Amino acid sequence: MDEILNILMILVPALPLAAAVLVAALGPRMLRARSHWPVVAALIGSCLASLVLLWHVWRQPSGYERVATYWTWALVPDAYAGESGTQSVDSRIDVPPGTATPADSARLAGSSPRARDFAVDITLRLDALTGIMLAMVTFVSLLVAIYSIGYMHGDRGYWRFFTYIALFVFSMTMLVSVSNFVLLFVFWEAVGVCSYLLIGFWYEKPAAAAAGMKAFLVNRVGDFGFMLGVFLIWTTYGTLNYHDTPAPVRDTVAASAAPVGGGEAAEIVPGVLGSQRIATGAYVGGGTGLAICLLLLLGACGKSAQFPLHVWLPDAMEGPTPVSALIHAATMVTAGVYMVARCTPLFTASPDGQLVVAAIGTFTALLAALIALTQFDLKRVLAYSTISQLGYMFLGLGTGTLAGISAGMFHLVTHAFFKALLFLGAGSVMHAMGNVIDMRQFGGLRRVMPRTFWTFLIGCLALSGIAPLSGFWSKDAILASVHARVEVLEHELVRRQGAAEPDADPAHGSAGAVELSADQLGRGAWAYRLMYITALITAFLTSVYTFRMLYLTFFGAQRIPAEAGGRAHESPGLMVWPLLILAGCAAVAGMVLDQSYWNGTHPFAALLAGTPSLTGAVASTEALGAFHIDIAAVSLLVAVAGVACASWLYLGDRRTVHRLRAVMDLEGWAPAGGRANLLRLAQRPGVRGWNQWMERMRLGWLMHLLVELVLLLALILSVPLLLCRFMSPYRLSYGKFFLDELYWGLVVQPLRGIAWLCSVLDDFFVDGIVNALGRLPAHLGTILRSTQTGLVQFYALAMILGGLMLLVLVDQQLVSRVGAWLAAIMAGCGAW
Amino acid sequence: MTTGHLLVSTILVPLVGAGLLCGLSRLGRSVVRRTALGVTLVTFTLTCVLVARFPADGVVGDGFGVTTWAWFGAEAPWNIRLSVGLDGLGLWLFALSSLLMCTAVLVSWESIDRDEPLFYAMLLLLEAGCLGVFAARDIILFYICFEFTLIPLFFLIGIWGSEQRQYAARKFFVYTLAGSLLTFLSLLAVVFWVAQHTGRLTFSIPELTASLRTHPLQPVSWQLAVFAGLFAGFAIKVPLFPLHTWLPLAHVQAPTAGSVFLAGILLKIGTYGFVRFNMAMLPDATAMCMPVMLWLAVAGILYGALVALAQRDMKRLIAYSSVSHLGYCMLGLFALNRLGMQGGTLQMINHGISTGALFGLIGMLYDRYHTREIRQLGGLARRLPWLACFMLVFTLSSIGLPGLNGFPGEFLVLLGMFQRAWGDAPVVESGQLHVISVLAVSGVVLGAWYMLWLVQRVFFGPLREPRAAAAHPITDLKRHELAALAPLAALVVWIGMHPAFFLQRMAPTLDGVTAVTQESLRNRAGSVARMPGAPEPDVAQVVRQEGSTRVR
Repeated sequence: MDEILNILMILVPALPLAAAVLVAALGPRMLRARSHWPVVAALIGSCLASLVLLWHVWRQPSGYERVATYWTWALVPDAYAGESGTQSVDSRIDVPPGTATPADSARLAGSSPRARDFAVDITLRLDALTGIMLAMVTFVSLLVAIYSIGYMHGDRGYWRFFTYIALFVFSMTMLVSVSNFVLLFVFWEAVGVCSYLLIGFWYEKPAAAAAGMKAFLVNRVGDFGFMLGVFLIWTTYGTLNYHDTPAPVRDTVAASAAPVGGGEAAEIVPGVLGSQRIATGAYVGGGTGLAICLLLLLGACGKSAQFPLHVWLPDAMEGPTPVSALIHAATMVTAGVYMVARCTPLFTASPDGQLVVAAIGTFTALLAALIALTQFDLKRVLAYSTISQLGYMFLGLGTGTLAGISAGMFHLVTHAFFKALLFLGAGSVMHAMGNVIDMRQFGGLRRVMPRTFWTFLIGCLALSGIAPLSGFWSKDAILASVHARVEVLEHELVRRQGAAEPDADPAHGSAGAVELSADQLGRGAWAYRLMYITALITAFLTSVYTFRMLYLTFFGAQRIPAEAGGRAHESPGLMVWPLLILAGCAAVAGMVLDQSYWNGTHPFAALLAGTPSLTGAVASTEALGAFHIDIAAVSLLVAVAGVACASWLYLGDRRTVHRLRAVMDLEGWAPAGGRANLLRLAQRPGVRGWNQWMERMRLGWLMHLLVELVLLLALILSVPLLLCRFMSPYRLSYGKFFLDELYWGLVVQPLRGIAWLCSVLDDFFVDGIVNALGRLPAHLGTILRSTQTGLVQFYALAMILGGLMLLVLVDQQLVSRVGAWLAAIMAGCGAW
Repeated sequence: MTTGHLLVSTILVPLVGAGLLCGLSRLGRSVVRRTALGVTLVTFTLTCVLVARFPADGVVGDGFGVTTWAWFGAEAPWNIRLSVGLDGLGLWLFALSSLLMCTAVLVSWESIDRDEPLFYAMLLLLEAGCLGVFAARDIILFYICFEFTLIPLFFLIGIWGSEQRQYAARKFFVYTLAGSLLTFLSLLAVVFWVAQHTGRLTFSIPELTASLRTHPLQPVSWQLAVFAGLFAGFAIKVPLFPLHTWLPLAHVQAPTAGSVFLAGILLKIGTYGFVRFNMAMLPDATAMCMPVMLWLAVAGILYGALVALAQRDMKRLIAYSSVSHLGYCMLGLFALNRLGMQGGTLQMINHGISTGALFGLIGMLYDRYHTREIRQLGGLARRLPWLACFMLVFTLSSIGLPGLNGFPGEFLVLLGMFQRAWGDAPVVESGQLHVISVLAVSGVVLGAWYMLWLVQRVFFGPLREPRAAAAHPITDLKRHELAALAPLAALVVWIGMHPAFFLQRMAPTLDGVTAVTQESLRNRAGSVARMPGAPEPDVAQVVRQEGSTRVR
């Protein structure tokens, strides 16, 4: 059984890799239009293997984890404490302060039994979290691959496309199954490269090439943070493995050091997320803990397109649509969510870090939803919607409770289904419309492509969170967990304020794993309440933009662009079947995975809670199976209101929309001041009389001064007005809050300027100094040339002086002796 | 055949080959270049045998394949010997030299069209010189080979270079020679210091290192002076930040083969010298200079990357990227711990492979379009798909993509630097080191920027070619070009997938150096701590302040 499991675990990523190599080798010459066969076959195999693994995990008791090591990637023996006296955090925490001085530890170093290797093994793990991710990734990939057979049919780079897809599935499955931060980073980058290659798949399009580069670079900024976080974990914990590893038993060290150390072979190096560390709770909080969390979060923000680094995802829509569905909606962008969920114990140790996660998620959700309201590019609306939904997931994770984390992961799974469905539907529309994606150019397609329409409708309902569809359950779970968090925090706060009774009930201490200060409690309660409200507003906006998109595309008068060439049709079966399957999943996944509404169980959350790093690390488990009817009702109400709003705007008279846009664009806010208006005012009878009276009193100049003053005031006042006019709510949303422009102006261009400056500096200053030094000998030569007089006597004198100087330098004794001789000779001469 | 004989014959084969080529000069072009390729392949095969025989755990004791012959002045007073041998540090650079020379010959296959016999003879002489540098165990032999590498390269640039070739050749020669003279004086100073203390003059590098371990150069000011002298030669070779201006010029003007070998091997002589002499022989000075060297390294990383970003000439861009990458090497080496040292050495090899290949690729583009201007080219992926594919692989390798070779080196370097700043016990200048390590990581973003920009401009987007190119057909990679690039690409993947193979063999040698410098660093930290007014660093205190918490 063990052997079979090990083989299955390696088979899940190995099959797509083999397919990628095969297609890359044979694709261009032999396979050509059949290039999809190896890939689809491999994905079927992977998907089945993943399902078997998931089923296996399902049957195991809670806390199951399985680690299998395949080979050693890199090994630097004694890297951590071999030379350092600082012991890892485990010993630091346990050592009573003041017993070890640096000098002592420095002497101990080298032969210290705490010496740690930097060892990176190719180790795969299996637990509930990994099993769920594997099943989701391979299942969606399989469907998207089948869809792509139809979508990419006849493309010049057909084999290239399937190679990249297979490579991506390999990297993504490895990313979720590795058990080491270095390898996590390795595959984190690898999926990034697949994304880069697939965004720039049609590399002749300048926009596609630029978008690929932008995605890579923005992700690199995130990776900068991620790398720093990993380094900090290394310096703090002295290991980068998730799992516990046996401490190194080394002959070479034992040979040089005292053989006494050999008896400690059973010692275990606790992994960062290993069961031993979770059990003892040896996690660093405070400044270091917060720094680790924030740096990891920066990495997650890059990959999962969260607020400061979200700008690459909309541009990534330049890639083929199946890629957008698979990589930029369902799987790769959730890597950040997976990573934060995986590192839950690290985040639990730092409540402030959790708060930041939740805050960034909420803010991103709102921001992206606001932008999605006004976009006309169907795929971009979906891209912003993805960013917004990922924000929800981060909000769930940021609550730091088990309910919140399982809600976030639940949303990840349901979102994968309905967002992949929506993207593939958009691809189907694009396929029929001759690659036109601007919603202003087509409309009323529900008769032309009925199956696409119905599946798209299901996707929209799920995304909006309408009752029985999957999006409703997961979104509701997130809202409920945030609400529960607020309640717990407030409860705790009240308890603290009335903390006169000393025997406070410890059951209420579940506000978090770490004891929170009153300040943190108050701030947390306030912040989570704000987030709850924001999340509700976002839910409303979500259903507005979702149904706007649906109505613009499928309702109204039938319009088909010229690019479609009169061949607008329903897509072929290969493309429709994946849509139908995904629609089925999007419709029922929520009801199947969350049964709390009728029997109070939540199979998904129960399974996920079995992940070792979640069971041990997170405090409360009480909210798991509870179904909050009040919150469900509120969120459903909000969603329905959004749908109603969109229907009122887009199904009826379109002039309403235009009027609304005019209002939001602040039309008619022209500056009220101005000479013309003033002149008109001067013609008013009363004013004119007053004016004439002033003129008669020879005070006309006062009047003129007054007018000029008023004009000046109006001018000053009109500046913010003009600014408002320029940055009206509508324009802010349509212009994506001008973040791209802001980054361009504040980051990219200044850096280019500095680069240019450095380059000029290098050519003229740094190299100039070198050249000046190089010319120095020549200049010296011209100076020395003047000494070449041609007088033999001068040369003789110079020679003698030089010789003397040399003597002085070489031998002091000789000089004194020669001096004595010379003096004697001189004296003799004088005497003579 | 014993390993020693094998090693000597590996070094001698190119020398003999060079002589043979001069004799063959009457014969046609194809004979000459085939002979040259044959000689390099023989050398490479011999090297492969050497690598295969090298112990897998890297423990070589006194050296691997040590061979010593008497030379001039081998008698008692001088003891200058012709002694060669390999260890974990020299092995991979030695192997890389013989590999890259095959590449260099192959990229010159069609682009060199005059005085071929002389050209290939120069290349082979250059190879012999580099092999000698990395195998030398005697200071005089080392220095002779060290200087000898300049002469063939001087002629390669000066005769077969581009428009400004003579200026470039002169500048390169004078600049590096000026530095290396100081290096020679410093090496002699070390030799005489040891002679004074042991009463026996020796030029043997292992003997000198061993006796300096027991009798370090005193006082420290002397060590610093000698360090500075060695620094002059090696830092110019590396090139370290403000001393780099000869590099872009030499690269741009050199023929492709010259650029490949210059970037791949000659720069590594500088870093090799730092490890072999500065660190191993002058540990106290190394410990004292560590922050300065780290600052120079990180300045090189960022400055090189920024200047590369502003370049319009592909070769200049890659040349400045070399400055940046060599900054990583130096950063790793001067982190003075195992991780950094091994990462830095691995990074030397990685840089040799990927930058060598990038220069080769740009040479191939130049052969086709006769321009290196980025703005004159565009969308070439459509016209030259295989060339574009290789370009992408080596670009990704150069920006440190995991799975390819750049990553393990870069990651170990940065990890080592972090450990120096945050983890290691002798806490010296930790504030500065924190800044340095964070700045160094930010270089990763800039590095990706200029390389991807280059690829995007030249290979993606709509097709753009210079008008002159229309005259003759543009073809994708030819067989000899493929042969030049494919082994390098394979190596890129191999190192990326299994760096342990390379790290294992270099580890024991490097650990020896690390141990010495660690000791000095500890002494230095001790002396700082004893100084009045210096706050006593208390690890436990620091941990308490960090507020370590227990979960539940």
